[in-house]
Amino acid sequence: MEEVVVGRIMSVSELNVTVLIYEEKIKIHDILYTYSKGRKIAFEVAEEEGKVVSAIPFQSVVGLKKGLEVYKAESGLEIEYSDEILGKVFDSYGNLIDGKEIEQEHRRNVYARSVSLEEINLNGGILWTGIKVLDFFAPMQKGYKMGLLGGAGVGKTVLIKELIHNVYSGMNSNSVFVGVGERSREGKELYDEMNEAELLDKMSIVFGQMGENSAARSKAIFSGLTLAEYLRDEKHHDVLLFVDNIYRYVQAMSEINAELSRIPIENGYPANIESAISNVEERINSTENGSITSFQAIYIPADDVTDQAVQTITTHLDGQIVLDRKVAEKGLYPAVDVFNTFSKLIDIEKVGERHYRLVEETLRYYSRYRELEEIIAVLGIEELSMADTNIFYRTRKLRNYFTQPMFVAENYTGIKGEYVEIDDILDDVENILRGTYDDVDESYFLFIGKYNGRK
Amino acid sequence: MSGFIENLVNAKLRNMKDMNNVYEVGHVSKVKDYMLEVTGLEAVGFYERVVIANHSVGYVTAIEKNHVMVALLQRTDAIYVGDEVVTTGYDFCAMYSRAAMGHVVDIFGEDRLLGEKFEGLKPYMIETPAIPIMERGEVNRPFYTGIAGIDLIYPIGYGQRQLIIGDKKTGKTQIATDTIVNQKDRNVICIYVAINKTKKTIRELYDNLMKKGAMEYTVILASFNDDEPAVSFFTPYAALSIAESYMREGSDVLVVIDDLKAHADIHREISLLAGKIPGRDAYPPDIFYTHSRLLEKGCQHKDGGSITILPIVETRGGDITDYISTNIISITDGQLVLSRKNFEKGLKPAINYGLSVSRLGGAVQTADMKKLGATVRRKFLSYLETKEVYQLANVDEMSPEMQRSLQEGEALQERLLQYKFSPRTPEEIKRDFMEVVGNEL
Repeated sequence: MEEVVVGRIMSVSELNVTVLIYEEKIKIHDILYTYSKGRKIAFEVAEEEGKVVSAIPFQSVVGLKKGLEVYKAESGLEIEYSDEILGKVFDSYGNLIDGKEIEQEHRRNVYARSVSLEEINLNGGILWTGIKVLDFFAPMQKGYKMGLLGGAGVGKTVLIKELIHNVYSGMNSNSVFVGVGERSREGKELYDEMNEAELLDKMSIVFGQMGENSAARSKAIFSGLTLAEYLRDEKHHDVLLFVDNIYRYVQAMSEINAELSRIPIENGYPANIESAISNVEERINSTENGSITSFQAIYIPADDVTDQAVQTITTHLDGQIVLDRKVAEKGLYPAVDVFNTFSKLIDIEKVGERHYRLVEETLRYYSRYRELEEIIAVLGIEELSMADTNIFYRTRKLRNYFTQPMFVAENYTGIKGEYVEIDDILDDVENILRGTYDDVDESYFLFIGKYNGRK
Repeated sequence: MSGFIENLVNAKLRNMKDMNNVYEVGHVSKVKDYMLEVTGLEAVGFYERVVIANHSVGYVTAIEKNHVMVALLQRTDAIYVGDEVVTTGYDFCAMYSRAAMGHVVDIFGEDRLLGEKFEGLKPYMIETPAIPIMERGEVNRPFYTGIAGIDLIYPIGYGQRQLIIGDKKTGKTQIATDTIVNQKDRNVICIYVAINKTKKTIRELYDNLMKKGAMEYTVILASFNDDEPAVSFFTPYAALSIAESYMREGSDVLVVIDDLKAHADIHREISLLAGKIPGRDAYPPDIFYTHSRLLEKGCQHKDGGSITILPIVETRGGDITDYISTNIISITDGQLVLSRKNFEKGLKPAINYGLSVSRLGGAVQTADMKKLGATVRRKFLSYLETKEVYQLANVDEMSPEMQRSLQEGEALQERLLQYKFSPRTPEEIKRDFMEVVGNEL
């Protein structure tokens, strides 16, 4: 196609290039590009005002000048939409970055196709993860969206990787991994591990990692969603979608928002935060064609769980697992805060009465334990009543029991991972609560799979 | 009204289409501390280096419709409104010479102790593109600091980014210095990045490293607190750009960044002065990206070289959950938390073993260190937690298991103590700790 000049650059800042447009009709999400010192720099239109458009650059703008000629690309942001996506790694803009090639390209625009109310399908079987604390407190169903919330360095990524290991390896289906604003090192490790486990050919990966600018980090999720939609709509698969980390998408949107000089809400978040998140979450749904089951890691900035972005994302979820620094500090991994962890599946009608009652009873023990800890700090253990002493020791056992050696964490713990069946979990918890194991030392419950009878 | 704008735009459009002559000289129209507004520079590039009134240097931070913004890098004389600004046609780059090894230098290639420039200065782009995911290799070679609490329990590998975080006077810089000293004869190039430090601090650091013979393989890239803020902002980027060039030749590089909290504060200052919209705690919304793109330069390259980064962050009141700290923790591959309480109790290095993390863990340890480390860590953490809960309980009434684990914990604590400049080899560490837990391996 012949390149036609559509306008010229008027102003440049790190994340915002304004272009004066001559005649052409330009709309939001169109892609413009220019050449500077032999380098092609593309930008996506974010705002229009008369003949002036503001665009977000995809590459570094160092060296750009006022007056440079700007061209319009044939199409907006696209990604491959065919069987070729499996086993491939894309960047946020739909380019392959793993050195592989696609011969016959079938590309599709990455934006907005929400599912209508009528299409949505709620039915799905329970999806066990083999991780005790998750299956017990927050079991997962096909088609659910599960959030993994945690501050910095409490184990979100390890948990996501363990889920990939346990769920994806066991489920005969394809999956999509979207890396948004996370470590490149971890991205490469995931790729290598999938490759070694020969799981890569059932998986598509999109990376817009933290070393890249906000445009890349804000687009990765859209590219990833398009891949998942292909597998659901065209291949009729039950798709697993892993997003690490959805918060980084909002963070990138804040950066862009500030560069466009739009007035932010608290903590610098964009005023359209709700719709920005809905644009993503409403596309993650199950239909008659197939399901999308998603695990989304959510970073909690400054350990502040009331953060606007975190709260807005969690309203879309069917369940959440909250990781807590205070638990991690005690060396108890996965460091789950059981009080804030839940799933819509914890319902008498869904998991059955036994599971439901056990969860209720366990939470009652935990919350009494929390009170007792304060009493003990002042009075010592000897002063507790018999009933409280039992609750105190049994809860400590439960707390230890809900730690677990993970397959992907063998490097930290030195212990091989374990997959635990739900029936074993329910039996063990019931026995601890009933006092069957009162004479077993609490340390024997630490980092085991199901209780092994050791005394 | 819209017709009026239309006309204005069309007139501008014609001007731009017809524009043939290119201005090279502009004039300062506004001076706001170290940010200048300059009019008349129509053909200047983003990030281009400009000279102001023949004596000062700056670079273009934004090109706007009617003017450009210039941030000052070096100011040798007063600047007046109306001063001439000349473009140079070059992007602003850091200058560095390989001859600078063993010296205290700044990003302009000047030896700050002798006050002269090096021979053979070469330009280094301040910011290079991110290192592609597929060029990265696995981080798995152990990087020894000589400190038992690190090498055994929270190990570091070549290419890892490990944060050192803690209050003032908890020994953060000391751990970094010890680590540099321990690299003697290990073929590692060390770059110590000092951001906004006092001259006295740098002098002290230089003398310390000199005494230990560590300056032979170390360069201190410094910005002093009386340098222009933009210089302090750029210094760590320049350091990583230099480190990248060494890495691409196959060398192992260690970069210590002291410290990123100061860097964040400078970025906030510059952004607010430039009129950018503030976010949480008044930091600009791109503060995460400011540090993430910097620290993502740390990696093990698939072709052999590596960049290991030890960034330092200073906290207040021991709170590691503030905005900047958690941001950086979420970037690095682990954190070494130093606690004031431990420091005061004489437990040095004052590592808080509960809050510290190494995300790579045993992947960067030899098989025997890994096994020993995992056991020691599990036992020691459980000891710390148990000690807290049972501190009022009667020891004699405890179960024998409990009593033994408390004694074992105390023995481990004692062996983790280590004073400055007294590195231990992996063999020594193994020997010391096998004495305690050896029979259980």
